[in-house]
Amino acid sequence: MLTTLVFLPLVGSLILLLLPKDRHVWLRGIATAVSAVEVLISLLLLARFVPGQAGMQFVERASWIPSIGVQYYLGVDGVSLALVLVTSLVTLLATITSYSIQQQVKEFYALLLLLETGMLGVFVALDYVLFYVFWELVLVPMYFIIGIWGGPRRQYAALKFFLYTLAGSVIMLVGILALYFGTGLGTFDMLALQQAGPRLAGSLQWWIFLAFFLGFAVKVPIFPFHTWLPDAHVEAPTGGSMILAGVLLKMGAYGFYRIALPTLPQAAHQWMLPLATLGVISILYGALAAMAQKDLKKMVAYSSISHMGFVTLGLAALTPASISGAVFVMISHGLISPLMFFLVGTVFYERLHTRMLDELGGLFDLMPLAGVIFAFGIFANLGLPGLSGFIGEFFTLLGSFSTFQTLVIVSSLGLVLTAAYHLWMMQRVLMGRAEDLGGGHGPLADISRRELVVAVPLMILVLVLGVYPGPLLHLMNPAVLHLQNVVQVASRWGGM
Amino acid sequence: MATSLLPLLPQLLLVLFALAVLLYDLGNEDRPGLGSLAMLGPLAALLGLGIVAGHPGEYWGRMLKVDSFSLFFQLLTYAGTFLVILLSRDYVERQPIHRGEFYTLILLAGVGMSVMASSAELLMIYVGLELMSLSSYALVGMIKRQDQSIEAALKYYLMGAVTSAILLFGISLLFGITGTTYLPDIASALALTKDIQGNLLLIAAVVFVLAGFGFKVSLVPLHMWTPDVYQGAPTPITAFLAVGSKAAAFAGFIRLLATGLPAAVSLWQPLLALVAVVTMTYGNMTALAQTNMKRMMGYSSIAQAGYILTGLVVFTPDSLAATLYYLLAYLFMNIGVFACLIWVANQQESEEIAAFRGLGQRAPFYAVSLAIFFLSLVGIPPTGGFMGKFYLFFAAVQSHYVWLAVVMVINSVISLAYYYGVVRQMWLEPCLPAAPGAAAGGTSRWSMPAARASTSTPPAAASSTPEKAQSWPEPTKPASLALGVAVVISLLLVLLLGLYPQPFFEWVGKAALLG
Repeated sequence: MLTTLVFLPLVGSLILLLLPKDRHVWLRGIATAVSAVEVLISLLLLARFVPGQAGMQFVERASWIPSIGVQYYLGVDGVSLALVLVTSLVTLLATITSYSIQQQVKEFYALLLLLETGMLGVFVALDYVLFYVFWELVLVPMYFIIGIWGGPRRQYAALKFFLYTLAGSVIMLVGILALYFGTGLGTFDMLALQQAGPRLAGSLQWWIFLAFFLGFAVKVPIFPFHTWLPDAHVEAPTGGSMILAGVLLKMGAYGFYRIALPTLPQAAHQWMLPLATLGVISILYGALAAMAQKDLKKMVAYSSISHMGFVTLGLAALTPASISGAVFVMISHGLISPLMFFLVGTVFYERLHTRMLDELGGLFDLMPLAGVIFAFGIFANLGLPGLSGFIGEFFTLLGSFSTFQTLVIVSSLGLVLTAAYHLWMMQRVLMGRAEDLGGGHGPLADISRRELVVAVPLMILVLVLGVYPGPLLHLMNPAVLHLQNVVQVASRWGGM
Repeated sequence: MATSLLPLLPQLLLVLFALAVLLYDLGNEDRPGLGSLAMLGPLAALLGLGIVAGHPGEYWGRMLKVDSFSLFFQLLTYAGTFLVILLSRDYVERQPIHRGEFYTLILLAGVGMSVMASSAELLMIYVGLELMSLSSYALVGMIKRQDQSIEAALKYYLMGAVTSAILLFGISLLFGITGTTYLPDIASALALTKDIQGNLLLIAAVVFVLAGFGFKVSLVPLHMWTPDVYQGAPTPITAFLAVGSKAAAFAGFIRLLATGLPAAVSLWQPLLALVAVVTMTYGNMTALAQTNMKRMMGYSSIAQAGYILTGLVVFTPDSLAATLYYLLAYLFMNIGVFACLIWVANQQESEEIAAFRGLGQRAPFYAVSLAIFFLSLVGIPPTGGFMGKFYLFFAAVQSHYVWLAVVMVINSVISLAYYYGVVRQMWLEPCLPAAPGAAAGGTSRWSMPAARASTSTPPAAASSTPEKAQSWPEPTKPASLALGVAVVISLLLVLLLGLYPQPFFEWVGKAALLG
């Protein structure tokens, strides 16, 4: 079932390549159908998933390269299942958003589906080599999506994205090999190495953790490895930005969750403080940088850095509540940021042809419904209680407080800054009179029905998770407790 | 003595076909099917190889050795020769090249390569090397009307002759020290030598023989010829140098180090480690600045030689197996790149990187294939190049050469930037009205290098032929099937090596034992 989930988009991508390139309706239809089926398969997985179990479910295993112990090994726990759901949903919505793309439609959707295969593969792979293959597979289509369909500085942004993430991931590959030979098990099985990793010598763990850190920190991104993000997110077409912010950033955090923390718990303890510090710096830096932006899309991009800082902090604090909070932020940000990028990059930009804050204003008057949705997104993003953004950040700070009191107090300053720039954003974009809008626009059409199809599911989920987070927490809880347990036990074991 | 000729069957078949091509081409008429006849040579040799595979052992006073190592490299050689002839079929039609001699020399170079891989006797290896080299010198200069080709041939010949002499001198020093040129005997003689580190004569001998092979695989500082020769040579021959000549030289290199000089490992290991790092870094850095595709591939090939050399530096059964695996993948990814290059050059009359502009729209098949070959050269999954590099890293980390693996991965990231330059032209740059080289007409090809460097002045060139500036130039000839076939074969193997490496791992693992 996971195999179907992962490789169906690849099949769809190949089918698209065989179609004539001027049949746009067909191309879009098939891409939408495939990504819709992906959502259904993920929902089916959710329905069949047995919550409350700590181990992997829907496991598929086959030998791939037996001579060095590489397997084709897939499986999900509660956290990866939640990420799979977000991935398939965001991809479907990005597909629908991208209907407005008119040039090289066939290539675009083929790449988008290929990207989906890579992303889903990362979240379900349980073998390091397989994981790495999917990890790298994501880079190539994203590079083209930014580079071909992106904004004016797309070439620069695409290359920067590719170089940064490739540099991080090849160093991670060396770390994987060091782990493989360090444990001496002769297998790339993630779970087996997770058992053996804690027994490695402390200094070796530290170095391997460094290699993983470099690979994942670029992807999250953690300050100071974040500089590719504003470029990539701003230059990417809206569909690409949605996936970048909604899913790709989560891959890095997922790497910490799945690999670095449980496999190298002693090193994780040594790295806790630096990691949490970098997380807090990301929170503050992202918020301050967002405040200074003139471009609305760039503002949203920097807010992603800020939010991912909470994820880093929560993972670093290593308490059940903080890890739950961090994972919850991942899911919640995976829903809110696509909504924001969609509104800024498509709904507003396609009508106004500008994203400059100075040229925006009065959108409540001009496009009331779109304005309300944007206000909803802003409130969700700044962490208003009742919406999903709040729950995650609340749990993160609550859970981290016992570990890092000073840092948590400092990062709550970030909350204030976040609220400030969001409200400021709202004020400058939505409020004011319509005449403030530069360029003398005529009457604007409000958000269209197709655009509502993209926005409404995200809004509903953000609201539901904000009001009733229980089921999601319940889904992820065993996996989170398991991680926390592994790290605690191992560090005690290593401390003796 | 028919039975004793049997181990030489593949090489004999290749020679037979070389002679057949030469005879068939006698006279001035245009012989149909000459290329097909030449292609049958390596195919027949492959069949012969199948028979020889059943008779491992040493023959003719230990001059000829049939083992899994030799079988592996022979297979590589014949496959490479076959693909190079496939690439040439279209090329020789458009260039002033004598087809008969061209094919004959390719086949003879193939014989030289397979001899190099099939002996543990230094003199025999040297003879193979010379057969390969002399054929290559002539092949590089085959476009007699083109100054650049002649210049390349002369350069290659002069430098090659000197390094051959140095190699021979090194061999004679080894003979002086050990009293033999048979590698296993050299090894046992050296094993009894006490002071390896302080033996100046031995140091000189090792450095000289390393230089001889290092020249052929273009290691820094013996790489000087590579960019010029790669750029000036007929493109199929560039491919041949990159895959065939390099693989054969590495075969000799591995045989020499692993069978002949394992006792002197403390002498050559640090030296080669340094050379490997410098070579890959230099190749990648310099490739960044290139505007000509063949020249860029020349520097790329230097960098790749550096990667491959790390397998020899680490010097474990796994690392040697990784070297062989990488060479196997390298054969197909490079042939693929050159096939796409020839195709584009046919269309655009230019080998500049700028000629690839808009290829993604004009010829998606070639563009996608080329992008995959580049991904493979960078080492991104799911390609053979990734598995090859992965295996090399694997072997390096296994033997605690983590720093070497880190240098390699950083180099891989750098290499992305210049391969990306071509990919950027194919998709990211908006389509150009007409290729600069094409606007100047067919003559630009032969008036090197001024016309080739004319990318910076397209307005002047375009204004001379305004009618061409409106659209893509018409292809001078319909797209050739042969190039398409070469691309498809390479693509399938690059993907197969990336997705299902297990049988190949087993194969190279056995071959790397040199048993």
